[in-house]
Amino acid sequence: MSTLRFIVDNFQEVMYLTWEHIWIVGIALLIATPIGVVLGIVITKHEQFASRVLNGANILMTIPSLALFGLMLPILAIINMGLGKVPAVIALVLYSQLPIIRNTYTAIKNVPPALVDAGRGMGMSKWKLLRELEIPLAIPVIIAGLRTAAVMNIGVAAIATYIGAGGLGVYIQQGIARVYPEMILSGAILVSLLAIIVDGGMALLERMVTPEGIKVQRKLSR
Amino acid sequence: MITYASVTKTFGKGINTVTALDNVSFTIPKGEVVVFLGPSGCGKTTTLRLTNKLETLTRGTITIEDQNIMDLDVVQLRQRLGYVIQAIGLFPNKTIAENIAVVPKLLRWDKERISKRVDELLQMTNLDPELYRDRYPAELSGGQQQRVGVARGLAADPKILLMDEPFGAIDPINREEIQDEFLKLQAKLKKTVAFVSHDIHEAIKMGDRIAIFEEGCLVQYDTPEMILTQPKNKFVSDFVGADRALKVLGLMRVSDIINRKPKNIIQGATRSQEALNFLKTKESRYGIVLEKNKSIGFVTQKSLKYEEGPVRDVVEPNPLLLREKTPLRDVLSSMLMYDTATICVVDGDKNFAGTVTYNDIQKAVKASYADETENVKIEVIS
Ligand SMILES: Nc1ncnc2c1ncn2[C@@H]1O[C@H](COP(=O)(O)OP(=O)(O)O)[C@@H](O)[C@H]1O
Ligand SMILES: [Mg+2]
Repeated sequence: MSTLRFIVDNFQEVMYLTWEHIWIVGIALLIATPIGVVLGIVITKHEQFASRVLNGANILMTIPSLALFGLMLPILAIINMGLGKVPAVIALVLYSQLPIIRNTYTAIKNVPPALVDAGRGMGMSKWKLLRELEIPLAIPVIIAGLRTAAVMNIGVAAIATYIGAGGLGVYIQQGIARVYPEMILSGAILVSLLAIIVDGGMALLERMVTPEGIKVQRKLSR
Repeated sequence: MITYASVTKTFGKGINTVTALDNVSFTIPKGEVVVFLGPSGCGKTTTLRLTNKLETLTRGTITIEDQNIMDLDVVQLRQRLGYVIQAIGLFPNKTIAENIAVVPKLLRWDKERISKRVDELLQMTNLDPELYRDRYPAELSGGQQQRVGVARGLAADPKILLMDEPFGAIDPINREEIQDEFLKLQAKLKKTVAFVSHDIHEAIKMGDRIAIFEEGCLVQYDTPEMILTQPKNKFVSDFVGADRALKVLGLMRVSDIINRKPKNIIQGATRSQEALNFLKTKESRYGIVLEKNKSIGFVTQKSLKYEEGPVRDVVEPNPLLLREKTPLRDVLSSMLMYDTATICVVDGDKNFAGTVTYNDIQKAVKASYADETENVKIEVIS
């Protein structure tokens, strides 16, 4: 109850921090998506790089977030950006790569070879095939990858407050420092809510981008 | 016209090298259906895929209308060759119309022309455009999807069609039907068709010529008749199968053995006794009764014996009439079903064209085996 009180009393600030949180995650996703999708597609066409790229992305993801911030600090300090939103966004972009690349890669690989063969045999260029067949069939799974990345990033962004990135993590960090349970809880609840809402939103998007023909196919094969 | 000259294709390197095609040479004449036939893995698909450069030649040359395919741009070449595959390969995310429109769109036809063409093709392949244009592939049966696959292959009106077991994925009853439809279409369109099949029945039915492959080599390239009646070696005769007589019957048509001037024709107005005498002098047990050049049935000596009036009053109707195109296999089964040894043949206007008799069928089958009996003898001696 007192937590709710805290949120109401500090509504202005809550809104600001929520917005900041969404901003960090959103920018990171905007940058990460084209990189990850392009990489994912490229490695389907150049299979020799596939395992290296996927392993690389996997290693990135296993580095604990605080350690990653620490590792980037001296490098970014050179251009005077060791702290703040820039390292936070970079870290989120790096973390996003695995789910995005992996989903893109698997989804494109899962397009039935006979379809690709038919397309090639009719004289479709690689680019045309991607646009008219492979990406439309892969897009729901690619969006699912973005969904994983987004939800994960909301959590990681809460930790980025330790390098001065702002966002809802501020309440958790300061609440702990000041031993102020309502503040901690507000931060925690708001971050969780944000994650749940984004997850739901992305699930909706996933359904929306599924091509009509695929929906029909799924319905009929049930 | 497609010419294959010393075509060789190997896959893999070193000790893993597989020779899929070994020095294959033959020509597919313009406007004919050539069936590539043989057991699985003999190189049929590879031959087809070399033609539209989905595989690259190891050695030899392929020319299409006197142009070496190596000198042609890949994309343009493929757009010139209709391609139909067993897996059908319709894009599930596109409607039927969009699927058929793939190549026309690549060729940048305008919208109106494309939609007119799509409807035309749907009609041609016996699918109601109104009903199917905006459906998705998943909503169609296998047979319908395959029709769309054919329509898609024909979309930009290519002179050449490459078909890889195009009707392989359909149940036998629907397959017969779609084969018949395709033959009808082909009679009109006169495409040059390379048609892969592993089914001898299909090959006999569809092919103007058959190219039989064995482990990457072309063992015989001939008309279906020649393949059936004069198989070049044991591989071919084994592949063609033991029931060759039946296959010959499937291959030969009424027109091959029709008797256009049977001796036992009687006009409907003839008096019965007169007709009876006529049949006796011709030594024929029965007579075909015509009126205004239409066959109205038949009479036997027995049925005429105690009759007085014109034969048209005692005639027994024909159980069925044949067309010249009907395969002898169907004729034979009708003879068995209706317990009759003679059936009348009519032309397009239902005018009497002749008769087919059981004896004539038997003779035809025997004749087709004549050469082969010689072959057998030689085999035994050597
Ligand atoms: N991409 C490929 N890589 C390696 N071997 C292949 C490839 N495609 C076909 N082959 C081999 O070439 C031979 C002929 O294959 P194919 O032309 O597909 O036979 P068919 O269509 O007559 O069944 C087979 O031995 C097959 O294993
Ligand atoms: Mg094959």
